[in-house]
Amino acid sequence: MKVRLQKIYEWIDQRVQLQDLINFMGKKYVPVHRHSVWYYFGGVTLFLFIIQVFTGILLLFYYKGSADLAFESIQFIMSKVSFGWLIRSIHTWSANLFILSAFIHMFSVYFEKSYRKPREITWITGMLMLLLGLGFGFSGYLLPWNELAFFATKVGSDIIGDIPFIGEELKIFMRGGEDVTGATLSRMFGFHVALFPALFSILLIIHLLLIQRQGMSQPIDFENNSGNEISKMPFFPNFFLRDILFWLLVLNLLAVLAVFFPSELGRKADPFAPAPAGIKPEWYFLFMFQTLKYFPANIWIVEGEMLGIILFVAAGFLWLMVPFWDTKSSRGQKNRLTNYIGLFAVIFIIVLTILGWIS
Amino acid sequence: MKGMLNILSAMLFVCSFIYAQTNDDQCFICHESTGDEIAELYKHDVHSQRNISCNACHGGNSRTDDMEIAMSGKEGFIGVPKGDDISNRCVNCHSNKEQMKKYNSTLPVNQQSLIQNSVHWQKSISGSSHILQCTTCHNAHGIVSVKNPSSPAYSLNLPALCAKCHNNAVYMRSYNPSLPVDQFQKYRTSVHGLKNERGDTKTADCSDCHGSHEIRKASDVKSKVYPSNIPKTCSNCHSNSEYMSGYKIPTDQYKKFSSGVHGIALLEKNDLNAPACNSCHGNHAATPPGVESISKVCGTCHALNAELFSGSPHKKAFDEKNYPECETCHGNHHILTATNELLGVGKNEICGKCHKENLNAEGFKSARLMRKLIDSLDVQILYAKKLIDEAEQKGMEISEAKFKLRDANQAKQETRTIIHSFDIEKFKEVVEQKGLTVASSVIDESKKAINDYYFRRYGLGVSVLIISGLAFTIFLYIRKIEKKKNF
Repeated sequence: MKVRLQKIYEWIDQRVQLQDLINFMGKKYVPVHRHSVWYYFGGVTLFLFIIQVFTGILLLFYYKGSADLAFESIQFIMSKVSFGWLIRSIHTWSANLFILSAFIHMFSVYFEKSYRKPREITWITGMLMLLLGLGFGFSGYLLPWNELAFFATKVGSDIIGDIPFIGEELKIFMRGGEDVTGATLSRMFGFHVALFPALFSILLIIHLLLIQRQGMSQPIDFENNSGNEISKMPFFPNFFLRDILFWLLVLNLLAVLAVFFPSELGRKADPFAPAPAGIKPEWYFLFMFQTLKYFPANIWIVEGEMLGIILFVAAGFLWLMVPFWDTKSSRGQKNRLTNYIGLFAVIFIIVLTILGWIS
Repeated sequence: MKGMLNILSAMLFVCSFIYAQTNDDQCFICHESTGDEIAELYKHDVHSQRNISCNACHGGNSRTDDMEIAMSGKEGFIGVPKGDDISNRCVNCHSNKEQMKKYNSTLPVNQQSLIQNSVHWQKSISGSSHILQCTTCHNAHGIVSVKNPSSPAYSLNLPALCAKCHNNAVYMRSYNPSLPVDQFQKYRTSVHGLKNERGDTKTADCSDCHGSHEIRKASDVKSKVYPSNIPKTCSNCHSNSEYMSGYKIPTDQYKKFSSGVHGIALLEKNDLNAPACNSCHGNHAATPPGVESISKVCGTCHALNAELFSGSPHKKAFDEKNYPECETCHGNHHILTATNELLGVGKNEICGKCHKENLNAEGFKSARLMRKLIDSLDVQILYAKKLIDEAEQKGMEISEAKFKLRDANQAKQETRTIIHSFDIEKFKEVVEQKGLTVASSVIDESKKAINDYYFRRYGLGVSVLIISGLAFTIFLYIRKIEKKKNF
């Protein structure tokens, strides 16, 4: 057996010089320090994305993206297709864990100041992927065409309509008309399975190439402490195996969640039915949704909700641009202000999410 | 002397004036003297008995014998009132509580407001006045109490009074072409109409059901003959044991009807398709349906049941024994939702009343088998429902089986109809092929879903074990290689 495997390896090696790749990976090192654990969340996010792609393709075999058939096709997947329930539940749960993991990865990079020069592009591609991930969540939520998804999309797209200048046009573009209809479902389906994956793949390739090219970022303290030898571990096999270990633990968690808390389908969307009480968006939009609720109807001459959205857009843009305004970190100096801002953002998101959840 | 003459002439003038202004009703005196027919009618008028003179309606001065003065515009004489002026003259007093009190009247004073909300208060074709004036029903002169047999509104005269317009197809066409014009003829064939014709004033006339001044369209929810108000309207008389004592019929129909399936549907659920009293008894031609026509009456709604019954062996048997068809098993006013207990040969079960083990034995066997079949369908449906609930509780997707269970319930409903054929083969076909087959398929699907639930749990356990084992192996391997390299 071992001989046969060796022969296969040699056959491939003669053609693609596999040994070069192994040598390259063997020379790659990952810094070892007390914050090393955060490095794994990038890999976990990637793993969850791979699961999303895999389960998404399986769901596509049966899913029908029209208002007349979407709900029934999901019902069919859940009840008739072998392990259909599992695939759908894993797709739903891994989507949620993907967003969670991406947030954790993003905040860990932020607090480690890993966005500093020369990794500005890595940060920006990562942030854009996080935004696309939220887009995946929003567009995918409508696809089962159930009551909850229908009204949540209605509320969500109404909020988008409040964006100054382009909001109304954006809303109509998203909905494929004035209201949430079958046309909206077709669009969301298109975004979810074609446009977003294409954009995401491009960004992911850039992101991964940059990581390979630039290596793992080290904390500022490490760089300043150049006198002492920095502890490192080889990427292959040590870090790679640790990554696999993490992925397996996440896979276990996914399986437990999918079996014990399978995705529900609810009732088919009826555009003429009254909206059920307590419509809420997915948990990762809750903090924004809840914040907008606290804004009064009008602040001076500006509509409250519109002002809230302007503030969110501005805050998001500043967050995206952090490598460019946090010049201190790029110079290898400590910047407490960015830490306080980051801490505020984390507390704000957690508290508002909890408030939104219990309200 | 001259002064005395002046005083004398002044006294004469005053006396002559006083002579002319008497307390006598000069209108009546004068018109009676000319042999006026109206004066003759007025003699018997309720208003004449209360010294209400002609001027109350016609204006003028009734206390002077000078015709020029009495009927002068200066005295407010208007001649014969026209159009709505007629009713306005009546309501001047009849809507005035104080005025009516003066005459010790016990009449209500709300007739005007009642009639204004009634169907008769719509404008006439000319548009200049309303369709009805008070005089249309009560006459203009010679008005007497409605309790007086000479009143057109007296109970025995009322049907003919209403028929004057409502029996006139040409006239009614102008106002409501879709309204039938044969109510009077129908009424005369009804128990109420026949008794009324024979002089019984206690039986229902038009006003007892439709009201008098407050008559509304039957489609008006406030109408006394609006479908859901009909039982109450009928019960005004028919539930009054004292009032009905002379007629020797029961007075518990309303109580029975309102607690029966039809009454609950009509009165509690406001289902206007449910029958009211008139649906079975007729309205204007109200009469109890005959024994032989009961299935036809019930069959107007329960058409299939009636048709099946007519073709069944029971039809002949019931006719021979003079049994009222549907009523024999279902009762009349207190009809309850059909349950399995209606079928069977046990104690208190209907079939057993005629079919005994040694009497009509074939029917006895069939009834026993039918009951057994329907009971088994019930058990299977209940079991299927229990399993569906259990599967749903476990979070399994079972909507298709749940939907299918409706077919089994539908089959159960169908047995309620097919039973009227009293054909064991047809009954069996519905129960077994439509009911039991579906129920058993639902049971299978539900069981599969429940088993699937446990399979998922066990599958998860195995998967977690394998993944954890793999993770642990990797963990050990990492430790091994890092120990060697001394990380």
